[in-house]
Amino acid sequence: MGRFANRRILEMESKPVSLSLTAKRLPGTSRTGHSLYWRYMVEPFLYLSPAILLIVSVLLMPLIIGISYSFQSIELLRPFNTGWVGFENFAKLWSDRKFWLALDNTFWWTFWSISFQFLLGLGLALLLNTQFYGKKLFQALVFLPWAVPTFLSALTWAWLFNPVIGPLPHWLTALGILSEPYNIMGDPDLALWGPIVANVWFGVPFFAITLLAALQSIPGELFEAAEIDGASAWQIFSKITLPFLAPMIAITVMLRTIWIANFADLIYVMTGGGPANSTQIVSSYIFTTAFRKLDFGYASAIAVALLGILLVYAVIVLWIRKKLVKI
Amino acid sequence: MAVSRTHPVLIAGKYLALLGYLSFALFPLYWLLKIALTPDQLVYSEGTSLWPSSVTLSNFSEVLFQTDFLSYFGNSLTVSLGTAALTTLIAAGAGYAFSRFHFAGKRLLIVVMLVTQMFPLLMIIAPIYKIISSLGMLNSLTSLIVVYTAFNIPFATFLMQSFFDGIPKDLEEAAMMDGCSRFQALRKVVFPLTLPGLGATLGFVFTAAWSELLFALMLISKNDAMTFPVGLLTFVSKFSVDWGQMMAAGVLALVPSCLFFIFIQRYLVQGLTSGAVKG
Amino acid sequence: MTYLKTCASAVALLVATTASADTTLKLVEVITSPERTEVLQSLVDGYEAKNPGVTVEIVSLPWGQAFEKLATMVAGGDIPDVVEMPDTWQALYAGSGQLASLKDHVAGWDNGGTLTEKTVAMGSQAGDLYMIPYGFYLRAMFYNKKLLAEAGVDAPPATMAEFMDASAKVSELDGKSGYCLRGGPGGTNGWIMLAATMNGTNDFFTPDGKSRINEPGSVEGIQFMMDMYQKGYAPKDSVNWGFNEIVAGFYSGTCAFLDQDPDALIAISERMPAEDFAVIPMPVGPSGKSFPTIGFAGWSIFDSTEHEDEAWDLVATLSSPKANAKWAQRVGVIPIHKGADQDPHFQTEQFKGWFDTLNGAQYEPTTMPTHLEQWGYFASTVLLETSQEALLGQRSAQDVADEWADLLTDEYSKWKASQ
Repeated sequence: MGRFANRRILEMESKPVSLSLTAKRLPGTSRTGHSLYWRYMVEPFLYLSPAILLIVSVLLMPLIIGISYSFQSIELLRPFNTGWVGFENFAKLWSDRKFWLALDNTFWWTFWSISFQFLLGLGLALLLNTQFYGKKLFQALVFLPWAVPTFLSALTWAWLFNPVIGPLPHWLTALGILSEPYNIMGDPDLALWGPIVANVWFGVPFFAITLLAALQSIPGELFEAAEIDGASAWQIFSKITLPFLAPMIAITVMLRTIWIANFADLIYVMTGGGPANSTQIVSSYIFTTAFRKLDFGYASAIAVALLGILLVYAVIVLWIRKKLVKI
Repeated sequence: MAVSRTHPVLIAGKYLALLGYLSFALFPLYWLLKIALTPDQLVYSEGTSLWPSSVTLSNFSEVLFQTDFLSYFGNSLTVSLGTAALTTLIAAGAGYAFSRFHFAGKRLLIVVMLVTQMFPLLMIIAPIYKIISSLGMLNSLTSLIVVYTAFNIPFATFLMQSFFDGIPKDLEEAAMMDGCSRFQALRKVVFPLTLPGLGATLGFVFTAAWSELLFALMLISKNDAMTFPVGLLTFVSKFSVDWGQMMAAGVLALVPSCLFFIFIQRYLVQGLTSGAVKG
Repeated sequence: MTYLKTCASAVALLVATTASADTTLKLVEVITSPERTEVLQSLVDGYEAKNPGVTVEIVSLPWGQAFEKLATMVAGGDIPDVVEMPDTWQALYAGSGQLASLKDHVAGWDNGGTLTEKTVAMGSQAGDLYMIPYGFYLRAMFYNKKLLAEAGVDAPPATMAEFMDASAKVSELDGKSGYCLRGGPGGTNGWIMLAATMNGTNDFFTPDGKSRINEPGSVEGIQFMMDMYQKGYAPKDSVNWGFNEIVAGFYSGTCAFLDQDPDALIAISERMPAEDFAVIPMPVGPSGKSFPTIGFAGWSIFDSTEHEDEAWDLVATLSSPKANAKWAQRVGVIPIHKGADQDPHFQTEQFKGWFDTLNGAQYEPTTMPTHLEQWGYFASTVLLETSQEALLGQRSAQDVADEWADLLTDEYSKWKASQ
């Protein structure tokens, strides 16, 4: 960087750095009076420091401690009974039938939730991108599910699916989907659909909002040009809309998938993981292991496994996104 | 020749779809309200009817006057507003940094933020509990605010970065040419433009903090420091669930977060639009 | 500045001295409901009136999350002085040395002499007297008189065979079922009871420590429950029913038979007219006996308390005959002092079922092996998941019984080794 820069660095370091710098400059001096060092190494971190501080102390450190638990054997109520057991927890995990079942359930839970949330959210966003009467009111109301606390919506949906006190089983029977009104959450093959429906209800606004924002940022001229050229609605959608949406889709789908995979509240309240573990996903399994069996070591091992899987997933999605953008 | 966009069948179809979405979104909320208005004895016998034969406001009055609900509500309000304000402030700083600067460790920081979203929060309950209890901050709303802020910073930063991306860099560069420091430029020029973004982030974080259950349950044991999600659980006893009251409390609790969200959702869309494509 | 400082330190000193004269006890209740908290508060007020200088802070944990909440509190160092201890958690906390021994306190207690033997026996399950039970939950059978009449069942069932028969008849009615089966959380007692009844004994282990849960008789009992479900004598979603669902199923008239403790009576009598239901002892098995489960909860003191004497006084106040009778009536348990059952409150037709059970020789109350450390985990998770698999036809009765036997035998030998 040269002697000049070094001197500036020395000057910078000797002055107390405060956020309200009012460096009086001679008119005409460029704003790049601050050295590169300042701009690349120090200034960003001034803005970032509170965030970094909080994340490190509240999230990262406990996370590392939590990961360290997976290599120990820990009984919550016998704090002196801990001991390092290396990979023993992970070996147990590999042969744990319930874990693989939970993983399978997690996959389907995430897959169906995301698919429906995304498709319905996209549909809603496309609709909102047009004009119609009462749009403002409609938009405000249709996003409400996101503001409802999840356990409250879980309880409500549990009610709706209960034939004694809710209308859904009766409507489903009338439509011929069910043979008779019964609670699908007592049926191991159908039980997962209860929480999935609740999750879809909850998550559609998220996709609708983000996709609508992305839609609105597509330059209007492109649509006009396409219409003039006589493109069909489908062609417009697939050749203009989708490519523009792709980056946003990638990010939101990835984020939501990660959140959903970790999201056991709805399942816990609606089915408790049953019947017979048919709705047990990995995070609810972690919960039972940690707080009912009080075996934090094993629970941490499961969590680490989940973390690993999600990391791999995130990497794949980001890689795909890169390729899409190139196209 | 493509079907004209104003074809009556298409329009009817569109309104039908809109109606479908609206009913899907509002039906459970309607049901919640219905149960809250049903007297206790009729809750099970008239469960499937669309409207109870006799409506009562007693559930609401019991919840408001006979339980500690108002104090739970107040605590939740304090925690959620505090979290929203703190998170937005910090995330604004962080989002600005991500938007404007290229710096060493930017990639790493993004990855770290992403990773913190992947770990189920209940795994860090025990370590956090130990830390907070050794600081003597158990049962304090402040500890909740700090913890919630940390949870929400990654996504709030992503939001704020989007909003800042939508504001051209030239604005503050021009201001800095005129002799302002970056911070002054930020305050005077950029800040007013990001108000929608700030509002949107505030609302989003408020909603998230409002419904958080697990940490509120674990970190707070004093009855008068409980937030309302935990308070709602007290309606579920080992012997019966006071459904009417619980739903009434639920309806009351929905009011702030729904209102807030209705207010800011416009800004969310607006703000995300400008920065959206950058992703 | 110095003047201010002196003032400040004087005030601080004053506050400190008054503060140290005041002791605060933390009392945690885990089986929480608005009425219980109300009664508890009134009992505590009585204690505070007699003991100026001591304030009691009541912390109410919602039952659904109480186990993990308490465990987290204890692990994190926020340990209460007095806690409401359910039987299933006793072994866990006593076994890890967290609870204070109450033997000496009881010896010096005026009311210690009127405690029934059962009370002392239950409280001493973990080897020493670690809790003072406040009452007993005894299982009996509720039945819906109207449904039985409609289905053509003349008399309430006295044997297991009659029980299945009656359930079959009621299930033929449209939209009704016979048994409010608790297939979901908390259903352990039902399975154990049926296994014991069909096996003719309520011993959990043979003299040499092998679990009896997979003996042919016990397996028959497990199969009985599975048959009830698979033949349609219980509602289809009962596989996931917990306490609230079975009680609601009963008082909404969906199912006719419910096996429960006196605390369910409170919820049911609020919602059902008294002439529509009655309570009988649990039906007997082939050996002519039945083995209704008996559970309990009580008050324990944590060993780490700094005010053990005051904590004991609080427990003693809560467990005095008058206080205990009031508590037992309001929360629906059978009280702990001798002679309490003469109270007119317990002489009603509804309570008859339970007192008949207590007084009949053919009904032997069964206690759960709560001295086994992992019993809580077994009951809340292992049994729940495997029994659901059995009900749904994914596994056979013998198969689940064998899995349970293995775990229980294991736990027993661990316990024996630590004696």
